[in-house]
Formats: sequence, structure tokens, C-alpha cells
Amino acid sequence: MVKYLCDGTSDGTLSAIGLILQEHSDPGLVTLSEREDTLFEEGMFIATDPLKAEDLFSRLKEKAPDAARTLYFFMLAEQEGMANSLLHYIEQALQHGDKVNGYLTHPAVRDIVTVSRKAARELHRMKGLLRFEKLRDGAYLAQMEPDHNIIQPLAYHFSRRLRAQHWFLYDRKRRTASSWNKGELRFGTIEQFTTPALSEDEKEVQAMWQAFFKTIAIPDRKNPRLQKSNMPMKYWKYLTEKQGE
Amino acid sequence: MEVTIFPAMNTLAKLQILSGAARYDASCASSGSRREGAPPGGTGNTSQSGICHSWSDDGRCISLLKLLLSNDCRYDCAYCVNRSSNQVPRASFTAREVVDLTLEFYRRNYIEGLFLSSAVMQSPDQTMERMVRVVETLRVEERFGGYIHLKIIPGSSSELVRKAGFYADRISVNMELPSQASLQRLAPQKEKAAILEPMALIGREIQESLVERKKIRSAPRFAPSGQSTQMIIGASPETDFQILRLSQGLYKKMNLKRVYYSAYVPVSDDNRLPVIASPPLLREHRLYQADWLLRFYGFTAEEILSDDAPHLDESFDPKTAWALRHPEFFPVEINRADYGTLLRVPGIGVTSAKRIVAARRFSLITPEGMKKIGVVVKRAKYFITCSGRPFEQSLHQPAQIRQQLLLGEGSGEVKLPRQLVLPGLYA
Repeated sequence: MVKYLCDGTSDGTLSAIGLILQEHSDPGLVTLSEREDTLFEEGMFIATDPLKAEDLFSRLKEKAPDAARTLYFFMLAEQEGMANSLLHYIEQALQHGDKVNGYLTHPAVRDIVTVSRKAARELHRMKGLLRFEKLRDGAYLAQMEPDHNIIQPLAYHFSRRLRAQHWFLYDRKRRTASSWNKGELRFGTIEQFTTPALSEDEKEVQAMWQAFFKTIAIPDRKNPRLQKSNMPMKYWKYLTEKQGE
Repeated sequence: MEVTIFPAMNTLAKLQILSGAARYDASCASSGSRREGAPPGGTGNTSQSGICHSWSDDGRCISLLKLLLSNDCRYDCAYCVNRSSNQVPRASFTAREVVDLTLEFYRRNYIEGLFLSSAVMQSPDQTMERMVRVVETLRVEERFGGYIHLKIIPGSSSELVRKAGFYADRISVNMELPSQASLQRLAPQKEKAAILEPMALIGREIQESLVERKKIRSAPRFAPSGQSTQMIIGASPETDFQILRLSQGLYKKMNLKRVYYSAYVPVSDDNRLPVIASPPLLREHRLYQADWLLRFYGFTAEEILSDDAPHLDESFDPKTAWALRHPEFFPVEINRADYGTLLRVPGIGVTSAKRIVAARRFSLITPEGMKKIGVVVKRAKYFITCSGRPFEQSLHQPAQIRQQLLLGEGSGEVKLPRQLVLPGLYA
């Protein structure tokens, strides 16, 4: 067994994987883990090289575009301690191409695909559950606290959809934000966030939506369990229709 | 000072009446249509897989702003809450009200688009014309690119049907009841021909537009998300077999994307209707399961039911019921059976069958491996072998399996169905 360490950032992990796959003819005999700087830590540290990371990603995109997509969503999950699984997933992906995602009996493939699937699912969910509020200056703001770092693909989705309006997304958990105005999509961080004042007609529109939400349910078919399993309560905090319940 | 968008409390009151009146329509899909980006200067696109935006207190998904343009109906269909003889408050939206509600909701990401139906006001044509005007305003004046599902009023002119299909992503004509006889009895003002003719017309137009678009990419699209319909279950005496055969015909001959089944909710004490304490939800659930077998599992209605056994089993889902009647088909060998055969195993769905086929390319699947790839064998284990070895040693007889399955699920006590319909996922 050959042991390697990396710094645990996405660039660091990917550049280490790139190097390992280049140097070892049998990566099955290699393990990779995140450096924790403990006294007895064993293994050779591989320094971060963004170019190497990028290189690996483009190779993967070419040989196995589905696997590259899986990797993208895996990264959004910000999971720690999975560098070794990632190494062996990418090794398998470069070997088998896109059908690798079906190789779920392989433990590393299963680990990566499972985490990636969760991030992709939350992104899909948030495309529906995100709620914008109209602000006094006419812009729209949506706040969220997702489990995964999905602001980038989410903002892209809304840049195709809500093109004609000026809007912001704000991830309260990570203090990251995205804005769209007149065809320009931007990303950044907000350290000091104060909730801005709402537009004067905002409450009126919200009341309409709340009324609709109430009447659209068929009383004879009430099913709160089903509602919660489809729409977990952790998302209710920012749902306009669930305010004041 | 900004002007309020909705002038009086009026719109709110109307919204309550006209969404309440629309809630019995089961359709909510927003999938099957794909517009990459919003129209220039406008708002809204659609997503191939559809997006659910919320789930109401009955657990059903909300994806579209579901409204009637009016509930002021001149028809008197016995099963319908909006029938003219029913004493309920009546209201009608103006086109502008519907347009503004749709846009304001869409901009806040409450909805994927609009579902617009209506009671028959003065005449089918007059009603349809007003509905078409709403979507025309949305599409042309407001450049709205979101999803639109428009109901076709039976009896409206083919010109209006064509216009509707030109603006909407999906259009639908409701069957309402599964037979001519029931239609005559419960909805005497609706004729079967007035329902089937526009359906056939829509089917042809969709087909033609697809052919045209293959030749010229910019040819106009006609209802790109296809057509659907809905039947009320339990208000009339048809058997499940009759209903399923009807659905099968609609899928095959009319190219429908979806048939929705809506458990009859008692909204009337009309003596032509059955007296029931609660809507037949389990029956509705079983019909959806059988419908899935028709569309995704390669079953025919005649395999699922017959004249001798015309009703779906209450204790077992239709696939399990079929398997118990066909012991000769089993056990199925997980490592060799083709995709179509795997799909016939109770407990193995589309996802599991695909995962099995994909994983087999790498190595033989062991019972342990089944768990790893995420296939739940709780139900399937009685019907499969893994490299020749059975999962369950002693059970071979359908009677034993039946017993075991019932025991495993709380001694035959039928749980209230969790809704199977995942409108966002499949058309």
C-alpha cells in the first residue's frame, strides 16, 4: 500500500488524484486521505496544483461526461473524508467511461454516486421551493439554507428563467450570494446581511398565494404525512405559504 | 406611492372561489416541454422534467396555478361541484386578473405556470374564446414563456382548439366518465362525440407539428407536452377492466400522454350518484398502479384484468396480483433475465431494473450486491433467484407467498395508499 495525503480542498484533492493516476500503474494499491496534521500521520503529501486539477477534470469530461457531472455534484456536497473514494471512483470512470455509474457494487463508486445524487436532488428541489420577495427598489430577493452548496447551478437556472427581472439569491448558511441584472450573472459573499424592506404590494401578493395554497387542497384528502415527506420541514422556513403556521 | 396590483379585495375572493372549484382536477404535470430560455424581453421557460413548487395539505404537488376562469356553469352534471343547480358562490375572472396573478406568482417562483379550465358560461365557444384570450395575452403581450395547460371545453370549434394548442404546452379534454351510458345519465349536456372529436383533432395536430418540425425547425409547435384527460372514478358503475381498456385505447390510438383518475369526492346528494362515506382513494391508487404497468412496464389491460375478474385486487398491487396468478413465470434469474422480464418482478421498478442491468456488466450480482445497488428485495425476494440460488428457501406456492406478503404488511390490513402519482417525474 502506498499512502498519500492532500489538503482536502477540491483543487487539492483533484490534483493529488491526477498525479497518482499518472504515476501509478495500479492505483488499486494506493490510498489517499485529507491531511489532518496529527503527529503520527503517515503518507506523502501532494501539494495543490490547480492546473493539474483542471487537467484531470477535462480528461474526465472527455472520457466520461456523465461521471464528470457526478463529480460536479459531488463537489457541491462539500463532503469531507472522501478523498480515497473519489480517487478510486475517478480511476474506475477513466477505465470504464460513462457506464461506471452503474457499477454500484464497487464501494467507491457507490459512495460518490450516492452523495452526488443527494446534491442533485436538492438542486432540483430548490428550483421549485425557492421563494423570491419583491423589494422596495423593485429587485427580488430569495433566501435559503440548503444542505449543499448549490447556489451556482441554481443561479444559472434562474438566469435562464427570470431574465427580465433584477434578482438576488442569498445562501444564509454559507454567506454567499448571486445576482442577476440586465443579463449579467455575478457571485460573491455577503458578510453583513440586513434584510431589506419589502415592496409595498409584496404582502398583498403573498396573501394571494397563501390563500391559493389553502384552497387548492381537497379537505377530504388531507394528508400531512405525505406533504412532509414530499416537502421536508427544513425547507419551510423561507416558504411564503408556510409563514405564520 | 406604488399602485396596488389587485384593485379590490375582489380578486382575492375570486381566487378563493375559483381555485377551490378547480382543485378536483388531478392534472398538475409541468413536464414534457422544453424551452431553454425566456423569450426576449419576457419571463419564463419550461423544464423537460417538470418542477414541483409546493405540496398542499392533501400532499398533492403544486406546480401550476390551477384556476377556473369561471365557475358560473350552465350545465348541470350531477358529480360536479359547479353544477348549475348547486348553491355555491359564483365568480368569473377577467383576463387581466388571471394574467397578473400568473405573472406575479411566476416572478416569485411560486409556480411553473398556469393551468386554466372553466365552467361553461354562455356557450362552449364563448367560454373557450375567453380562455384562449387569456393565454394569448400571456404569450404575445407579456411574452410569457412558462408552462401553460389549457382545458378544452367539449363542443368548442376546431379553430379555437387549434389556437389553444398553438399557445399552450399541454391541452386536455376531460373524459369525465368512463362510458357513454354514464355520461348520458350524469352529464346529459355533454356528448361523447364532443369529447372524442377534439381529442382526435389534437392528436392529429400534434403528430403533424412533430413531422413539420423535423423538416423545418422553426415550424410552430402544437401542444409540445401532449394531451391528457381525466376520468372520475366511483361515481358510475364501470369496472376497473372497462376503465383500463379505455385508457389503453387512449394511449394507443389517441397518443395521450396521461390519463388521470380522480376518486369521486361526494359533492352532491343527487340520487343518481352512489352514497359513499369517503372518496375511493385505494381504488384510485390501484388504477394509477395499473396505468403505470400499461405505460412503463409493457403490460396490457387484458393481462392485468379479465371479464371474470374485472376489479383490481385491494390487498395486492396489480403487478403482485399478476405474479401470483402466474407462478410459471417465476423465479426470474437476476443475472440473466432481460430488462422486460425484470420489470415483471413484483418490487422491481424501472429504477431497480435499470440498476440491475447496469451492474451486471461488471460482475455477477449477489444477494449482498442487490442491497448495495439499492434494490429493495422485501417483496422481490419471493420471485427471484441469484445465480440459481433462491432468496427465500421454502416458499414456492403462490398461496404461501400470498400469506407471507400479507403477513409482512401487517396481516392484510390495507394501509391507506401513499400517493403513487409523481406528476413531475413522468409526463
